[in-house]
Amino acid sequence: MTLRRVVATGATLKELDMSMHMAKKVVLPLLVSLLAALPAAAAVKVQCPGDTNGDAQWTGSEVQPANTRCIHLAAGDGFVTMADGKLQYSFGFTDVTGVPENQVMETGMLAAEFSAPTIKLKEGEHVYLTLSNVGMVMRPDLFDPHSVHFHGFPNAAPIFDGEPMASISINMGSSLTYYYQAPEPGTYMYHCHVEATEHMQMGMLGNLYVTPLQDDLPNGTPLNLNGSTFVHTTGNKYVYNDGDGSTYYDVDFPIQIVGFDSRFHDQHIAIQPLPFAMMKDNYPMLNGRGYPDTVNPGALAAPAENGGKLSQKVSARITATAGQKVLLRISSLATVDFFTLQSLGIPMKVVGRDARILRSSTGQNLYYTTNSVTLGGGESVDVILDTTGIAPGTYFLYATDLNHLSNGPEDFGGMMTEIVIS
Amino acid sequence: MIKAILKRASGLLLTAVALACWGTGAHGAIDGITGPTFNLTAKTGYISTADGGSYLMWGYANGNGQMQYPGPTLIVNQGDVVTVNLTNQLTVPVSIVFPGQSGVIATGGVAGLLTREAPASGGTVSYTFTASQPGTYTYYSGTRPELQIEMGLVGALIVRPTTNPTTQAYNHPDSQFDHEYLFLLSEMDPRIHEYVAAGRMDLVDNTTYFPVYWFINGRTAPDTMAEANSPMLPHQPYNCMPMMHPGEKILMRMIGGGRDPHPYHTHGNHHRVIAREGRLLSSAPGSGADLGELAFTTTVIPGSTADAIFTWTGEKLGWDMYGHAPGDPLQPGEYAPDHGKPFPVVLPGVQELTFGQFYSGSPFLGAMGALPPGEGGFNPNGGFLFMWHSHAEKEIVNNDIFPGGMLTMMLIEHPSMMLMNP
Repeated sequence: MTLRRVVATGATLKELDMSMHMAKKVVLPLLVSLLAALPAAAAVKVQCPGDTNGDAQWTGSEVQPANTRCIHLAAGDGFVTMADGKLQYSFGFTDVTGVPENQVMETGMLAAEFSAPTIKLKEGEHVYLTLSNVGMVMRPDLFDPHSVHFHGFPNAAPIFDGEPMASISINMGSSLTYYYQAPEPGTYMYHCHVEATEHMQMGMLGNLYVTPLQDDLPNGTPLNLNGSTFVHTTGNKYVYNDGDGSTYYDVDFPIQIVGFDSRFHDQHIAIQPLPFAMMKDNYPMLNGRGYPDTVNPGALAAPAENGGKLSQKVSARITATAGQKVLLRISSLATVDFFTLQSLGIPMKVVGRDARILRSSTGQNLYYTTNSVTLGGGESVDVILDTTGIAPGTYFLYATDLNHLSNGPEDFGGMMTEIVIS
Repeated sequence: MIKAILKRASGLLLTAVALACWGTGAHGAIDGITGPTFNLTAKTGYISTADGGSYLMWGYANGNGQMQYPGPTLIVNQGDVVTVNLTNQLTVPVSIVFPGQSGVIATGGVAGLLTREAPASGGTVSYTFTASQPGTYTYYSGTRPELQIEMGLVGALIVRPTTNPTTQAYNHPDSQFDHEYLFLLSEMDPRIHEYVAAGRMDLVDNTTYFPVYWFINGRTAPDTMAEANSPMLPHQPYNCMPMMHPGEKILMRMIGGGRDPHPYHTHGNHHRVIAREGRLLSSAPGSGADLGELAFTTTVIPGSTADAIFTWTGEKLGWDMYGHAPGDPLQPGEYAPDHGKPFPVVLPGVQELTFGQFYSGSPFLGAMGALPPGEGGFNPNGGFLFMWHSHAEKEIVNNDIFPGGMLTMMLIEHPSMMLMNP
């Protein structure tokens, strides 16, 4: 945490549980005091080619340039709920694409989501991602900047890499626009890299993946690499530009391994020194939820403490019809532990890792079939579940580190989700 | 807080990097001692952690030299008959095992469980083997290893190939490199060292092992980036400060020197894992590293070694990384399609940004820009820096202090800048 000066506010924040009424009483004075504390030059500013009114999208007479994508994320704090009901203070990103610039601060405050909004890009797109720092409403003593690290993007330059020691990060009340040409396809991830241990433990983590240009080939294009007889049909989807159709899938699901140390989050909201050395995740999660919340197909109920904003929108429920190939885009942004995910009853075929196809330098596919994959933080893997011949029903994807099948003290749940085959 | 910690290394690092302009363009190589006969002494000494900690360690010293952590990197040539004579100045028996070497013959000393040992207080033992295979290996104590490796009795062994020994790791051009660096990763639970220092080895309880320090080559960040053989760190002679120019290749010799696995992440680009345990990932003899895998994060496994090649060209950024105008001449190796393309966004003003210590003030390679007083300063040649670190973010702290631990910055200098290996 960066502690430069304390801003006096009209409210004291001792209790963790606050009614919605109380939250609204607090937010407005904090909003006013936060905005008053900003340097005069601070402003939310979207940079998006062709967008003239600053809402990061093209409407009315605005013209979207070819192959261009704009995203606007707000970074700040908020609240999420663990699967055993425990409320946790968190940091996060929220999607404010489409929100007018003069409403971004209020929309983004206390709106942090966990997992962060999923970013899906197309290979070769010109991506303009504006990051606006809306400040920490519940910690007005903090002036942390934020960043976005596009984890795994090859040949990155520091200015857009989001690693703050080697470049820049954005202060409260202001915006920084990142630019990337979306790289080779695969499963990446994104997270804030400012005070990485703290901001990542607090939840600034999201799924990010890039789809291949092979998806857009003309109907009937043969994919003949290494003697393959595969023929592309419009609507086909592949993990990579495999050239032989071998990474074809029907449906895909990003699954991100994450975890919370509840003591760390409780100390944070209580304005206490943060226990980095003793950090130990006790709420293992997928996509920001513990089981059974992982299989809730919709957003989790909004906590009152953030003013009723939906803060957990990314489900981990996997659904398919029998016979489909299901792609699991598995990544880990856990800050403490390694985890092993096992698919019970449906074999896993690993076709890529760290956003690269598993193929020898002489072009031989090195895919392998397994029942489990083990990931440390910062790793990703692409797993295809072939449900041909699998009887319809509910199957499980779960951590074989069995102590992680728990939500804190609740001895049930944790890092588990369902694969529902119909 | 970050500034205060980095000031610890500032004097030495600035001196070292400032000399880069006049340096001899040293070929980044591994610090170590050559044999093939080595005389090592096991002795005690105190190491320093970057939060100001001081802890008793046991380490292998080169002859009558200082105890060091990790032990001296032994560098031999393929086919050498290697002899290691160990003298023991500890009050407990000690030994060395050489995983991956066959036909190790131990003479002298007394019989131990894994190998012959040097008795306490002056005992000796000798080991001989033929280093028949090139690669990256490790050596460590075979006596009560759960205590002795933790106490620091671990080191690296490098066997150079018969073909191109200073520019290849193995006898195949797939292992060609321009610079090589050691990444011996380890961790420490200070309680064990405090008990040993107090003469209470009986209180050491490995079942409650809980590390709060993490090291690369025996140092915690930011000491990882200080000069090698720093007089400030007499028992920690090795640093980890990888450097290159665009288009060059870095050989990463990764060793798991502790008891925990660590997911090691390279910002900036993927690295290609070409070998594990001293063997190229080959489908057949002579096929080189055709089974090598691209990774953005490699799990370094305890007791295990892995070799990876990292390169970076800055291609396909979509903007000219040198800040060229279209009429400017191309840099050798520059990605021509991006030549002259303008920087794609407007960066926020200085009041809106937090600057990293390694930011030059300019997004372009080799360029500097205006920074507020006291900002930046650790990048006097305008290089691009990328954090190479454990992606279990808990491990980039020194006890409760962020940043620290298993972290370093890899420096890419403008092609015209000499590299100084401090």
